[in-house]
Parts: sequence; C-alpha cells; structure tokens
Amino acid sequence: MMSYYLKLAVRSLRRSPGITSLMVLAIALGIAVCVITLTVHHGMSSNPIWWKNDRLYAVTLDSWDPERPADEDHPELPPSELTWRDAEAVTRSDIPLRSVRMHKAGGVLSSGDSRVPARPERVIARMTTAGFFDMFDVPFRYGGGWKATADAGPEPVVVLSSKVNEQFFGGADSVGKTIRWDDREYRVVGVLAPWHPAPTFYDLNNGAFDDPEDIYVPIGWTEKLELPSGGNTNCWNAEDIQSFADFLNSGCVWIQVWVELPDAASKARMQAFLDNYVAGERRGGRFKRPNNNRLTNVDQWLVDNEVVGNDNRMLVALAFAFLSVCLINTVGLLLAKFLGHAAITGVRRALGASRRQVFLQHLTEAGLLAAVGAALGVVLAGAGLWALRIMYATPRDGFTGLMHVSSWSLMITVALAVCATLAAGLYPAWRVGRIAPAVYLKSQ
Amino acid sequence: MITQDIRPILSALLRNRTGAVLVALQVAIALAVLVNAVYVVKQRVDKIGRPTGMDIENIFMVTSAGFAADYDHAATTAADLSWLRSQPGVRAATLTSGLPLSGGGSQNTLYPTPEVKGEGTSMNYFDVDESGIDTLGVRLVAGRNFRADEILPEDPTYRKPVPGFIVTRTLAKALFGTEDAVGKVTYDGLGRPMTVIGVIDHMQGSWVDWDKIGQVGLLPRRAFGPRALYLVRTAPGQRDALIKSAEEHLSVSEPRRVLQYVRSLDYYRDRSYQADRNMAIFLVTVTALLGCVTALGIFALATFNVNLRTRQIGTRRAIGARKADIVRYFMVENWLVTTAGVLLGAALALGVGYSLSRAYQLPRLDLYYLVGGVVALWATGQVAAWQPSRRAAKISPSVATRTV
Repeated sequence: MMSYYLKLAVRSLRRSPGITSLMVLAIALGIAVCVITLTVHHGMSSNPIWWKNDRLYAVTLDSWDPERPADEDHPELPPSELTWRDAEAVTRSDIPLRSVRMHKAGGVLSSGDSRVPARPERVIARMTTAGFFDMFDVPFRYGGGWKATADAGPEPVVVLSSKVNEQFFGGADSVGKTIRWDDREYRVVGVLAPWHPAPTFYDLNNGAFDDPEDIYVPIGWTEKLELPSGGNTNCWNAEDIQSFADFLNSGCVWIQVWVELPDAASKARMQAFLDNYVAGERRGGRFKRPNNNRLTNVDQWLVDNEVVGNDNRMLVALAFAFLSVCLINTVGLLLAKFLGHAAITGVRRALGASRRQVFLQHLTEAGLLAAVGAALGVVLAGAGLWALRIMYATPRDGFTGLMHVSSWSLMITVALAVCATLAAGLYPAWRVGRIAPAVYLKSQ
Repeated sequence: MITQDIRPILSALLRNRTGAVLVALQVAIALAVLVNAVYVVKQRVDKIGRPTGMDIENIFMVTSAGFAADYDHAATTAADLSWLRSQPGVRAATLTSGLPLSGGGSQNTLYPTPEVKGEGTSMNYFDVDESGIDTLGVRLVAGRNFRADEILPEDPTYRKPVPGFIVTRTLAKALFGTEDAVGKVTYDGLGRPMTVIGVIDHMQGSWVDWDKIGQVGLLPRRAFGPRALYLVRTAPGQRDALIKSAEEHLSVSEPRRVLQYVRSLDYYRDRSYQADRNMAIFLVTVTALLGCVTALGIFALATFNVNLRTRQIGTRRAIGARKADIVRYFMVENWLVTTAGVLLGAALALGVGYSLSRAYQLPRLDLYYLVGGVVALWATGQVAAWQPSRRAAKISPSVATRTV
C-alpha cells in the first residue's frame, strides 16, 4: 500500500513542478537556516568536558571593591579570577582530589640546539600546577605532566602542545630534550596530542574560542621570573605597588582556580573551607563585600561568562521564525493543491477509498516533500557553514571548528524534517479527507 | 466603489478562510522579522561606520618580543624607531603600549579630588612619545603636544606619576564638563595630580563594544619591554609597501628578539567588528530570503485561487464584468489579506522590538521602521498578486458556458 501511495505522491508532485519545487525549496531553506544557527549555537554552548561536569568547579571569591561589584551587569557574581594570595591559600586545601591555579603568560620559544632550524617563536604559555593535565583530561602524545614537587621548586620542565612540538621537533618524541623559553632552558617532560577544547572553559577571559596555550610551565616560575599575566589583570583598588612581591600581595585578580570534588560531601566541605578562609581574611580587613564564595560547575561557568552571546540567541530565534514562515507557506500550498484536486479525491472516495486511506495518501505526499526538502536542506546547511567558515577565517581555529555539519546537526535535521512533515502535511491531509464525494461526482 | 467591492470579496474570503489566514500569518511574521532585522542592521552599520578619529587607512603596527638575556629594550626600540622614521613614505612612528580598536588595552580610573572618592571617570590610555599625535593622525584642538623631554622612562609597575597628559574631547567632557580642559587637574587612583596639557578632537580606544570608547588619554611614557609595539603612519598609498619592507628589515636586524606581526591597523578594526559585520550579513540574507518566500507564497496562492475560480470568473465576465473589475477583485482581495497580516505583524513587531531592546539595552524600536515595513509588505503583496490577477482577467467569458 505504501509503495502505491508513494507512486501516487510522485505522480502528483510531478504534475505541478513549479509548486513542488517551491515547496521543497521553502522547506530546505527553512531547515538549512535552522541547522546552521543551531549548529553554531550548540557548538558554542556545549561543554567540552561534560563527563566531568559534576566534579570540576571554578572557585571564585568576592574580594572586590566594597563600593561596587566586579561586573556592574552581573552584580551577583564575584570577579571571575582570584588574587595571587587567595589562589595560593585556596589550593593549599587537601579537600579536593586535585586543584589548579594558573594564568596566561607570554614569552619567546627558541631552540636550545643550533642544529634545529626552527625560528624563535612568540608563544602563549600557561603557568599552572601539576594537577592541570589529569584534572582536565588533557591527552598526551608523549610523556606526561610534571610531579607536584616541580611546582614549588620550581623545576625547569615544560609540556609542549602538539603544534609547538611539530615546529621545533618535527613532531618527534621530544621528551628529555631541552627548549629555551625566553632566556632559560627547560626540559620537555610531555607533549600533548592535538587538544582543542572549544570553548576553552578553564580560562574564558581572552577569547573563549581561541586555541589553547602553546606551552605549559610550573607556576612557581611566575614568582621566580616575576612574570606578569598574559591574560587579564583587574584591580579595583589603586595600591602603591613598588615591587613584584607587592603585586602578588595586592587585590588585583588574575589567577584562575579550579578544584575537582568527586562527591557532594567533598563539595560541601570545600565550600565550608572557602567560607572559613574568607571569614579569617575578613577579620584582617579584607573582603568587605557580602560573603559570596562560589564553586561553579562547567555548565554554569559557561553561562555565567556569557559564552553564547545575545546575537547567537537572536539568530536562533530568527531561524525558527524563518522556518515557521516556510512551513506556513508549505501548508498553504499543499492545502490549495490538495483541494485543487478535490474532484479526483472525490472519485477515489466514491470508489471506496476510506477517509483514513485518503489521509495517509496525502500525508505520504507531504512526507516525501519534506524528505526531499530536508535532504536539500542538509546540503544547503553544509554550504552555509562553509561560507561562515570563510567569513570567520581568522586564527581562531576553535571558532571555525564549530562550523561543520556534525552528527548532531544531522540529528537536528531529521527531527526538523519530521516536525516539518507533521506541521505542514497533517492539516491539509486531514482536510482533504473530509471532502464529501457527492459534491464532486455531481458536477461531473 | 471600492467599499462596494470589498463586501463580496470579504464574504468570499470568510467562507474560504484557511488559505487567507495562512498568508496573513506569513505576512505577520515577515513584518515582525523585517522591521526588527532592519533596525538591528542599521545599529550595526552605524556602529561600524563611527569615525575613528585616526588616519586609519595609513597606519600599520609592528610588534616584536625580546627574549635573550642580553636583549636591550631601550637600545633596540631606539634603533627600530630611527630606522622606521628614516624610511621614505613614513610620516611618523611611535612606541606605544596598546593598539586602538584591537580589543586589548589598558584602562585607568581618574578622580576629581586627591581623596580618590566617589565615581571616577574611566580612561582608556595609550603610552606614546612626542610623535604619538602625528602617528595616530588625531587632531589637536587645544593646548599642546608632548615635548621630547617630557617622555617618561619605561615603568612596568607604574610607580612614577604622570604629571601632564593629553585627552580626547569626550574624556575632557566626562572629566570637566563643558569647561576648557587645558590646565585642569585630575587625580589618578593614588591621588597624584595629572594636568591636561592638550585636547585632541576625537580618537577611538581599544574596545569597540565599550560604551565609553571615545574616553581616551595619551600618556607621555615609553612603553615597557620586552615586548615592543610600534605604530607607523605612512603617506597615502605607501602603507602596504612599507609593511613589506619593515617586515624584511626588522625580522633580521636584531637576533635577540623576534618579530611577531606587522599588520595594518584596519586589519584589527575589521577583526573587532567581524561579529557585527557578520551579524548584519546574516540578518540581511535571512530577511531577504524570508521576503522572497513570503512573496512566492502569496503569488502561488493567488495563482491557485485564480485556477480554482476559472468558471466563476468566466461567469462574471459573461454577465458584464470588465477585465479591470476582475483584476481589481484579486488585488483588493490580496490587499485585505495583507492588511490583516500587517495588523497582526505590527503587534508582533513591537513585541519583538521590546524584548530586543531589553536584551541589548537598545533604544526602543523606531516607529518609522514599522511604517516602512508595512508599506514594503503591502507593496510586496500587490506585486506578487499582479501577475495572477492579470491572468484571471484574460479568462474568456466563454468558459462559463463549458462544463469543466
């Protein structure tokens, strides 16, 4: 029966090629625009470490100006980074399974070996603690992270990104070799496999869709080399900063802190620890704002930091408005078309076709239309995402990486196509099934 | 005449209303989207087109990073600047702490009294030397430029006070109101006095999304190393050639540093506005497609109506209706449907406009846009219905006498 309906549907669609192609195109465009905006939106808002969402928490403490919140637009949030001294104090706690404190830095990488032809290269470094790699499930190609004892020393060790390892060592196993960062030599202990978390949830301050850092160095070197932040430094209180030690003691926030808490009990203990620490500092004259110490999981962290902009939400709404116009259009055309052939349907009904059969026959036609439309829609969406990649052709690979037809987009397309069929086909098919055959037989 | 026409058309529409309702709905959504999309696009285009105050087409930047233990920042920057300034076609060059319109920069707060109390005024500042004004191509409107002997040495911890500085008119207004700013004193966060020695007409600062982008100050200070950032202004048309030769020379002139980028300033401006530009392109594309789909929908439905009523039209022609009457019938019918859609759409457009203005803190939707959108959709409807109406008028009266 189904194949018969399909044959009828094909015949009916071919009878008026203009209208048919208009309907297919409308469905295809509607679906394509939705798939494009949803793919980008999904990519931007997706949690690149979702499997640890209930374990990883960003630590924030409200050490800001008593007069005003850190962000006037979000007065309920503490500053997104910590002061050096608070970060040190918080990560000394042994409640978390792991904890990291870290910041970005600059510097120039050069080969310690004159036989290596690579030119010196300005790089972005992440000054961090030993827990970073295990905590964020960072994949290694060679070697591994450094031991916790290397943090404080600090030991001259470095972990390279796969890109830098490619540039300086031709992609070979460089563990044990040395490389110069600014004017010092560091021993390579690990090389990462390609790793592109998008967004870079662990530090959203400077371009959430930029690539992660080129090299990773124990944070003890920050103090020793007096490295300023290569990311954001925000100060609320003009302090008389005479030396780097003064800066480390100041109220300026520039350090990111994350902790891994495996269960609710440890999270509660950590929260109590933070509150207790802040209460102690308060007695010393700091933290004059209301108590606001947070442990924020990754999902919420992305929301708090507004990784998905207003523009993106507006585009998704626009896409659905567009799809609805396309579908209304298709409903109108299908209805007009089905009713236009009412005489034939009348004859079929008179010859014994039940309402249900007439309904199914027309729904098949609508379904075929939607299927062809959806297929074309995927092609158009692919083309659209490709165009977007060109429009956003910048060094920000993390962002352009979001723009391709993924299995997720395909799933959305199928869902949209089914919805489109139901939305566009249901009413016209039902309507045509209710035709009274007698009216049409009479006029014959 | 028209009112006489409307009644039968209206009753015919009401008897067979599904198609008309669907078209009206499309028109309504199309209007809401069109009006708001045009409004948002206009905001973005205005934002991108704001004057920068600088000679932006003729400026490029150079950035390098010293890395060797024996890298001498003062000597290297002096050598670089003297080489850059000696190139034919280079008008001026300066060492600077930040890049206008790039999305990265420094901000400070200034206070009206040395007690540093109350609301301060934000200043986006750039360290420059005595060539700063010339290099940026900004116009000095009051006071004077920095003298070479006023340029403070590099100061990574910002310990030394900056006695005199230059402000934009916007910053001067934020600090001192409408009074003449030259000679006036303001105070930095540590309560140290800073005197305005000059006022420049206009200059945009670092962040294109910042509502105080025009509150810029120029400080007479050598930007600290080991990173060096230079701005270079060239004679018109010479920029790209000089970018090339600067890159060639500076990448080999000093082995203890690496040259990072040599790029035009408008590269950074374009990058900063990329999201706005792409948003505008996307909105225009989708809105245009939406208009096309709506117009085609109106057209197709009118065509079907004409086909469906062939006999009726023939009969009307046979009993005396002129061609013009038939055309008018369909045009008025279309106009009625579009009008219903437009009325619904106007309400929808205002609702969407209200929620957008809340999400973006934009001024409320201007009603001119709504009027324009209504007229545009009326016109679209009439154009889309024209061809089917003409076709209807061509139906021969003899059709009435035939069966089917």
